[in-house]
Amino acid sequence: MAEAPPEVTCQGLARTYGAGPDAVEAVRPLTLTFAAGQTTALVGPSGCGKSTLLRMIAGLEEPSAGSVGIGGQPPLAVRRRGGLSVAFQEAALLPWRTVEGNVALALRLARRPADPAAVAGLIRLVGLEGFERRRPAELSGGMRQRAAIARCLVTAPGLLLLDEPFGSVDELTRLRLNLDLPRLWQERGTTTILVTHSVSEAVLLSDRVLVLSPRPAAVVADIPVRLPRPRRAAMVRETRFLDLVDEIAAGLSEGGAAADRPLAAQ
Amino acid sequence: MSGRLLVGLLLLLLWEMAARTLAGTHLLAGPVDVAGWLFQHRGLVGRALAVTAGEAALGLLLGTLAAVLLAALAVLAPRRVAAVISLLMLFLFCLPLVATGPLLRVLWGPGLGPQVTLAALAVTFTSYLALLVGLRAAPPVWLDLVRSYGRGRLSELWHVRARGALPYVMAGLQIAAPAAFLGALVGEFTGAERGLGLLVIRALRELDAPATWGLATVAAGVTVAAHAAIAAVGRRLQAEPPLILAAAPGRLEGPLPVLAALALGLFLWAGAMEAAGLSPFFAKRPWDVWAFLFTDPEAMAHRAELALALAQTLRVAVPGYLAGLLAGAGLAALVILAPRAEAAVLPVAVALRAIPIVTTAPLLVLALGRGPAGTVTIVAVMIFFPTLVACLQGMRQTPRAVLDLFESHAAGRGARLLHAQLPAMLPAFFASARMAVPAAILAATTAEWLATGTGLGALMAVTASTSAYGMLWSATLVIALAACLAWGALGLLERAVLSRTAAEQLA
Ligand SMILES: Nc1ncnc2c1ncn2[C@@H]1O[C@H](COP(=O)(O)OP(=O)(O)OP(=O)(O)O)[C@@H](O)[C@H]1O
Ligand SMILES: [Mg+2]
Repeated sequence: MAEAPPEVTCQGLARTYGAGPDAVEAVRPLTLTFAAGQTTALVGPSGCGKSTLLRMIAGLEEPSAGSVGIGGQPPLAVRRRGGLSVAFQEAALLPWRTVEGNVALALRLARRPADPAAVAGLIRLVGLEGFERRRPAELSGGMRQRAAIARCLVTAPGLLLLDEPFGSVDELTRLRLNLDLPRLWQERGTTTILVTHSVSEAVLLSDRVLVLSPRPAAVVADIPVRLPRPRRAAMVRETRFLDLVDEIAAGLSEGGAAADRPLAAQ
Repeated sequence: MSGRLLVGLLLLLLWEMAARTLAGTHLLAGPVDVAGWLFQHRGLVGRALAVTAGEAALGLLLGTLAAVLLAALAVLAPRRVAAVISLLMLFLFCLPLVATGPLLRVLWGPGLGPQVTLAALAVTFTSYLALLVGLRAAPPVWLDLVRSYGRGRLSELWHVRARGALPYVMAGLQIAAPAAFLGALVGEFTGAERGLGLLVIRALRELDAPATWGLATVAAGVTVAAHAAIAAVGRRLQAEPPLILAAAPGRLEGPLPVLAALALGLFLWAGAMEAAGLSPFFAKRPWDVWAFLFTDPEAMAHRAELALALAQTLRVAVPGYLAGLLAGAGLAALVILAPRAEAAVLPVAVALRAIPIVTTAPLLVLALGRGPAGTVTIVAVMIFFPTLVACLQGMRQTPRAVLDLFESHAAGRGARLLHAQLPAMLPAFFASARMAVPAAILAATTAEWLATGTGLGALMAVTASTSAYGMLWSATLVIALAACLAWGALGLLERAVLSRTAAEQLA
């Protein structure tokens, strides 16, 4: 069922919202390649255009210029065969479906046969056992995000696009998910692009970290993460981990000079 | 619960007291007399009720089906096509029952046709609007989710929008069911052989106060019960009604949709008449109306007569409309200052909203004197309850976090009302004000028809009975167009105000 992870390429990808003096340039023309099977973290200041970039890769946002290739195909073709999943910044659960129902929905949307065992397994993995029959309104923000992640994984896509998937999850659960989930997508071999505000999470999860400048997003640092897998909790105290964290943090503050104002004023 | 009971008992007591003070006039019967009359005639009333309820149910079913089809079409079609559909529906909704009733009677002949059609017409637009708002209310991220699996608009409609619209559908039905009943009643006024409407007309002719108020009570009971039953079903389905039913009308992109709707409307009108082979004597075509108003030798006199009647109607409809809006919004603001009162008033107002007040129009007019005051009052009452309910619900929609903010600064009730609750009320207020335009016209023309003998209501009734169909069709068109224009003007005002206070409500 799981398909081979695709390579993702962005060719001169750019997005400007609006026109004229009020135009907001969210993403500068970007040319990037995300290697097949790798996990890449995107970090950058709030409002710099990370979500926009991710949505363009998924084909949910029309680029102003440039193109995206997922294993050489346009995003729409990949979406049509259920080849990618997006975890949205807000969990986007349907309020009238239970946790189980929300996870199972992805299978239906991807035109796959129902698979109660896989659904139950993923719900257990994200630590929502016992909440299968609850509706989103009865869950905390972090629990909703975990349900959304289970929904993302259930179709075993080749490409995972995660937009701050652990934003409202507490530190401990977050660490556990950071350690458990990559195992899952590593086994299946998934190309993963992850947006996060947590530098240590970026290091812990990924093979490569892209540091983005304030809006309009441009890559200010491209940092490979050569830590052995599987990653372990103890690693976060090792020097090479901390060095990487420092390097990324330095990239973030360096890029932070440009002011966030409308295009015309720049 | 006990608060509600108390308010109910209080109203009954007031009613009885009012009846006793007016005892000499034979205009108002109190609860005691009404109960006596109803008990005496329970068999007759029961049979009539079954007939009318059946017509209303059939109309509700057909009207809702039409609404579902049209709303699905409007959501799947491009925005401009949707705008054309919406405009045509609005026009149908603005047709005054007083005129469509007699016209349907001649078109359908005897039988159930007119009642069921009117019931369906009374329902379709509210249900369509509720569905459309509901289907469009899905947050964009849900649609992104569907799209992220490469699925299209049909999947969106099926997996996300349809279920998301359920609360809106239930809220629409809650208003539609009483409207269907009222439609069936008015349909029966136009010459049915059986049904509650027939009994009402008879009681009115004989100025039989216990019968009139008894029948009005039965009608009120039915509509309130239907309203409550649908609310209960909604709760069962976990579809608590959303508080704001009708979102602001979308911006029309240029005059094109209006022109297209006009052309399509005229085409459908003429096409239906021709296809059915209806006699041009009573089934006027667009060109007949044009001739009647503009090219006929008597056209000038026709226009003058129409303008006079229109002016008379507007003279009562506009003040009544404004008074009803003001009183409804004003009382809502007062009530919200006293949270305990609000809990008691809202359910009562929700119930009273469903009452077909126009069935008592003649007696109310007589009670208030023959002058315009009576009709103005009826219009105002007709507008008052829906406005009160909408405004209360709108103010309840003030976000919890905003109220907490005011609380944290220990702000007074006045400040909270002015800066948080009134702005939160505006979308609901405007939605209700728009829906109230046709309601005001319905109330005014029905009162004129049944009681005062002036204005468009009377003109339409007279022309219907004297077979002056040219005038009947023209009057119908003029008033429906006037209502559409008022609706559009309100929509513009609404957009202007909401763009400052609630920009997120504007699509
Ligand atoms: N639909 C839109 N219309 C206009 N401007 C938009 C739209 N979506 C995003 N923007 C603008 O694009 C910029 C980038 O937005 P984006 O959501 O991609 O930021 P982000 O990096 O994901 O921020 P955060 O970390 O806060 O989620 C922002 O300045 C925002 O104002
Ligand atoms: Mg974002």
